[in-house]
Amino acid sequence: MTRPSTASTDLELMEHADGELTDGELAARIERDPEARAKLASIEQVGALVRGHLELSADAVPDAKLAAMWRRIDEQLVAPTTGLWSRVMAWFDRYRGHVITGAVSAGAVAALALILRPSAPDGGVPGRAGGAISAVPVALRATPEIDALETPGGSSTVINLDDEDGHTTVIWVTPADTVEGI
Amino acid sequence: MSDRVPGPTTSGTGSGTGSGTGSGTGGTAARRVTIAVTLAVVVALIGSAKPARADVTTECDFLEISAKTGAKPAIDGELQRVEKKLKKPPFSTWNQFKLLSHTKKTLAKKKPEPVGLKIGAATATLVEIVDKSKVRLTITMDDEKGKQVANNTATVEAGDYVIFVHELANNDGHLLSLTCN
Repeated sequence: MTRPSTASTDLELMEHADGELTDGELAARIERDPEARAKLASIEQVGALVRGHLELSADAVPDAKLAAMWRRIDEQLVAPTTGLWSRVMAWFDRYRGHVITGAVSAGAVAALALILRPSAPDGGVPGRAGGAISAVPVALRATPEIDALETPGGSSTVINLDDEDGHTTVIWVTPADTVEGI
Repeated sequence: MSDRVPGPTTSGTGSGTGSGTGSGTGGTAARRVTIAVTLAVVVALIGSAKPARADVTTECDFLEISAKTGAKPAIDGELQRVEKKLKKPPFSTWNQFKLLSHTKKTLAKKKPEPVGLKIGAATATLVEIVDKSKVRLTITMDDEKGKQVANNTATVEAGDYVIFVHELANNDGHLLSLTCN
């Protein structure tokens, strides 16, 4: 393990370049030896190149991958939550992306449902401006039904007329005084 | 410098991520799809829920007509829709028909709606809608003295007519025609 006192070895130069060997005598020797100085400069250049390449490689890792990595690390570091609310929030934190995806999909489906909802009224619910009922063809229309009729102080006659426009129910009210000829 | 080279660390992370993400991606995607579908179904159900029945309405057209007998037949141009009916019995008792008022009303279920008349007054109430195409209506009609002439509940098809005829003392007629859509 004898070290030449006059010339610096490559190992010494590498250790010196890495800052692992801070010997004053070695520094003086390198200062005196042009070959050693050239070697040291080369070693430093190669070191800088390698460091630069590694930093660029680290930068090239996609953010999403890094985020996922950090999330996994955090999950392992954070103590398990105990409260219901904390568990809910932790679940939400973990599945935030899923919930957002679900909400967006649900919104899209709801919008489609609203757009494609049949405009024809169902059970009397207004489906268009104006009336809530839909007229059926004249031939299919049922005859009008009188459910109740009161004509106080007179008599009434109900007449059903049919024509190409449909049914017409005439409720003819004759006052009693007219009937009696008063 | 050798300490900063992430050789073993990189390879460790690489293999861990590869296997972990591989199996986890399938589960994650399945969970994501499940949540999305569940939310979508819930929102779609809410979105397509039917409005309350309280919104039931119908639109009715009221024509108040004066009927007389005169030398020359005359029917107001605005009565074109019922002109054919007025020329036939029993309306052919008269030959002159004049529009006194024309009212359009949107009737809400079980809410009496006053119908403005030149002679007397009337109210119309939508009792219900039957079979999506018929309305059950209650109509009351009073004369100019406030005495009730008729109180009627009838079920009619959309587009069909109900015409109330009130014979007046001088043999004139006071008609109220209605149709709903």
